[in-house]
Parts: sequence; structure tokens; C-alpha cells
Amino acid sequence: MDLDTVMAEAAPRRFSPKDDMPEEYRKAATRMIQFHANSEVMGGYLEKPFIRQAPSLDRKLAFSAKVQDEIGHAQLLYRAAESLGVKSRDQMLDELAEGEGKFLNCFHYPMDSWYEVPMIAFFVDGAAMRRQATLKRASWEPYAHAMDKVCFEEGFHVKHGEDILRELMTSSKANQERTQEAFDEWWPRILQFFGPTNDKSTHHDFSAKVGLKTMTNDELRQAFLNAYIPKAEKYGLEIPDDPGLIYHEDEDRYEVVEEDLDWDQFFTVTKNASEGSERQILSRADRQEAVDWVREAMDGWERMGSTTTPQAAD
Amino acid sequence: MIWEVFRQEEPGDYHKHCGNVHAPDRDMAKMFAQIQHGRRMKTHSLWVVPQDEVGEVDDQDTAFGGTTDKAYRWATTYNRVDASFAKEVADSEAEQRAAEKKREASSQ
Repeated sequence: MDLDTVMAEAAPRRFSPKDDMPEEYRKAATRMIQFHANSEVMGGYLEKPFIRQAPSLDRKLAFSAKVQDEIGHAQLLYRAAESLGVKSRDQMLDELAEGEGKFLNCFHYPMDSWYEVPMIAFFVDGAAMRRQATLKRASWEPYAHAMDKVCFEEGFHVKHGEDILRELMTSSKANQERTQEAFDEWWPRILQFFGPTNDKSTHHDFSAKVGLKTMTNDELRQAFLNAYIPKAEKYGLEIPDDPGLIYHEDEDRYEVVEEDLDWDQFFTVTKNASEGSERQILSRADRQEAVDWVREAMDGWERMGSTTTPQAAD
Repeated sequence: MIWEVFRQEEPGDYHKHCGNVHAPDRDMAKMFAQIQHGRRMKTHSLWVVPQDEVGEVDDQDTAFGGTTDKAYRWATTYNRVDASFAKEVADSEAEQRAAEKKREASSQ
């Protein structure tokens, strides 16, 4: 299929591994899905320490279930990515360990206290879910199918995240203040979650033309703000003055003062060049290495017992 | 030889199991599948898979989802917060509620 045909026929779940897709499409889809898969891994690892630090048994159970879900989502997504035939799952995991693999800005920052947990588990997950819901209509069928399962599970994550926020913001004044401090720190990063505005987005046009993305960064951020700012306010969180945010009541629309956001920092972070990036990547790489023996044992078992020729995807 | 048949109605849909056919080889299996399963029901694509190649585990072999209470992993448990503020969260909760109902109905 040539690129013009792809653009003409692009529709939700239109293309699958049996279609002969042009290299431009396969590369763009791989880049996008690999980024998504990497983000699931890095988000899971960021939250993992809070299984131990959870303040109650209920939270511990829910948090371990959530981290397990995120790693499962990564597996689904690496499968969807490798079905494009550009990179194998091993290759993508190696790239992540070597600092080549890119992932969401929010997962490059350290998370030290329980007060920060709802920033990820409610706001970042909520933002992610907003975006993922639109990707059910992506043109690469295996990606859209993965989104069906991811979105099925994510409702628990977001509601559990909100439940933590609600609990903290209805408890002691000291807890409320610490939660507000965490919010002040995370809010600009959350605003940058959807990436640069449309005019500065490098990949949007192509991805939209071939049906990989169905909404722009600006539209997604707008929809997120409309839903989540009232929630923050409901629990008594104050929206920081900086970065500036102007509400246009007549249009029910928030305008973010772009100059107030540190896009240099954003691009440093998302190029894996920040201090936090290095720490997160290396700590995951260490843990991946620590369980190498499990993968090796399984590979050995598979080679011993297999009667069919292994496929590239395995 | 028996071949299990999976039908996909529209491009982008899931292939769903719809029956099986007897056939000596893959080509014949594809032909019989077309005739038996692809003629009257709307069909975009069919898969045929040798029955021997299908691995199965059923609810007699295992307790799917485990035997402990896993209420903590469902959105429907967190009722001090309300999902209706975001359609995608509410949709996910509705899907989970539907799945929960089916599980409960089958365990009774």
C-alpha cells in the first residue's frame, strides 16, 4: 500500500499486520506505540515503591494490582508495536535500558512521598486515560485492540487515585497542606503531559493524516482541564498562579499561558537528558538485569520444548 | 482433521470463534469455512486453526481471577468518588460493572 492510499483509507482500526504498510507508517506507529509502552513500564516502576509505602492494607493491595496492570499494559503495547515489523520487543526493552527509549515527561521525576501519589494516580492517569480513550479509534488495529483492554482496566486506577486524593484532602490540615505542596510541584508537569501545542508538535500532522492520532494535543489538554480542574477545586486544591491559566467562561475553555511553561526543561526531560531521567532509567535497567535469569530460564525451556520454528516476534 | 474457525465481521473487529470444519488440509479448511461460516453471516475475514494447536484451560481446571476477594481492583469499589465527570472513566466503570454482573451470575 502506498502512502497516498494509506491517507485516503485511514479510519479507525483500518490497518492490520496483513496489510502491506509503507515504511513511513510502520515507523511512525512504532515510534508512537513504543513510547506508550515505555511509559507504562516507567510509570509502573515509579509507583512500585508505594506498594511498600502504602498507608493501609487496602491501599497496598490496590496499588500492587495497579502496578501489575501497568506492566501488563506495557506487554500488550510492545506486542502491538512489534506487529509493525520494525523492532522486536527485546530491542525496545534494550533501548529503554540503554536510555534510547523515550517516555512521558511525568515519569522522569522522582516521587518521594505518599502525597505525590494522587498526582500520578489521579491527574496523570486521568490525562493518560483521556488520551487512550481516543486511541481506541487509532488506525493500527492491534493498537486499538490493546486500548480496549487498557481502558477497561484504567477506570479502577483513576477512581482509586481520586479516592486517595479525596482521603488526603478531607483529613488533617497538615495532610492537606502537604498535598497542596505536591500539587504545586506537579501541576506544571501535568500541564505539559500532552506535549507541546499543535504548532510546535513535530509528529502530529503525519500521525493525524494516517489515522494514528485522532485528536490534537491542544484538544486533549482542553478536555482534560475541563474535567480535572473542577475536581481539583472540589477537593480544595488551589490551582497555582504560575503557570497562568485563564478561564473563558463564554466558551467554557481554559487558556494556558504557554510562556509560563518551561518547554526547555520539557525537551531536556523527554530526551532523557535530565538527572531524573538517568536515575529512573538506570534503576529500571538494574532491576531488569537482576531478573535476567528468569528470562533466560524461560527462553531455554522454550527452545527445548518447541516443535515449531520461533517467529521473529517471539 | 478438525479446524476451528474464527470469523471477523468488520475490519478492525476481533475474530470470534464461530465453529469448526472437517478438512484434510489448510486450503480445504479455508474453503469449507467460507461455505459453512462465511456465507450468510457478514464476514470480512476468517481464520482457520488446527484443533490440536488450540490450548485450553477451563473453569474446572482453575479458578479464574483467583479465590480471594479482589474487590480492590475494580472501579465499582471506590464509591466515595464519582466517575461521571469524565466519560472515559465512566465508560470503563460501566464495562467493569457489566463484567462483574456476568461473573456473579455464573457463580450462582
